[in-house]
Amino acid sequence: MLVADRLLHITAEHYLALSAILFSFGMVAVMMRRNVIVMLMGIELMLNAVNLSFIVFARELGSLDGQIMVFFVMTIAAAEAGVGLALAVAIYKKFKELNIRYFEKLKG
Amino acid sequence: MIYEAISFYSLAMFLVFFAYKTISAENPIHSALYLVLTMLGLGAMFFTLGAEFIAGVQVIVYAGAVMVLFVMVLMLFDLKAEVQTFSKGLLSGFLKVFSAAALAGLALGVISNSVQMVDSSATQPAAEAGMDVTKNLSILLYTKYLFSFEVLGVLLLVVAVGAVALSRMKGGTHARRG
Repeated sequence: MLVADRLLHITAEHYLALSAILFSFGMVAVMMRRNVIVMLMGIELMLNAVNLSFIVFARELGSLDGQIMVFFVMTIAAAEAGVGLALAVAIYKKFKELNIRYFEKLKG
Repeated sequence: MIYEAISFYSLAMFLVFFAYKTISAENPIHSALYLVLTMLGLGAMFFTLGAEFIAGVQVIVYAGAVMVLFVMVLMLFDLKAEVQTFSKGLLSGFLKVFSAAALAGLALGVISNSVQMVDSSATQPAAEAGMDVTKNLSILLYTKYLFSFEVLGVLLLVVAVGAVALSRMKGGTHARRG
């Protein structure tokens, strides 16, 4: 009964747990995948997981500052995606493949 | 209460399933499309949490603009021959998954031990009912956070110029132009 109540009564804990799980998925994507664009997608997934916890805390505390932070994080994520994709284009133009191991050869 | 539980668990299963598909799909285009679905699910979750404006921005900016950028860059490349999807090494792969799982477990432990410390007695019922959230958000954005907002505008300009310069250069990031 107590367990069912804890499972059915959705609190901030549930949302934060989901956020942690999504964050670790993004982390696995960054560490395991070799394709630069898929690694960038993993970073986006991690940023979104953090956004979820920001929104949950904003609701818990009855304050809108968390939502403002989400707004900023989204802007920076869009900027980061732009720069990362430009780097991916640079890698592809030189090596005709999108593997992360070419990153170190990109200088000069 | 039961409706909230149903919506939470269905959205959570949706999100975890498509996040898993994102990181495990061998074709990067499939990864991108699964990531769009994950973003849409997160937008729905933001909506249920009472952040309507952020939910709209999530759908428009993330599921729309950023993912279209990803898919368009992927379409520029000829990626039929994906030689190696995952990094090599069974032991290192196991260690990577294990460290991610350890991080998730650590975060879950911290959450379950510390979430009682959050003082939720200050919750304003008006903020939960979705009244004027967008209005208050914009007032906050243009008064308290005005400086950060302007700095973000400058950052976006710099990033736009930098991305164009980076993709126009020949032969790497430190090459001379010409």
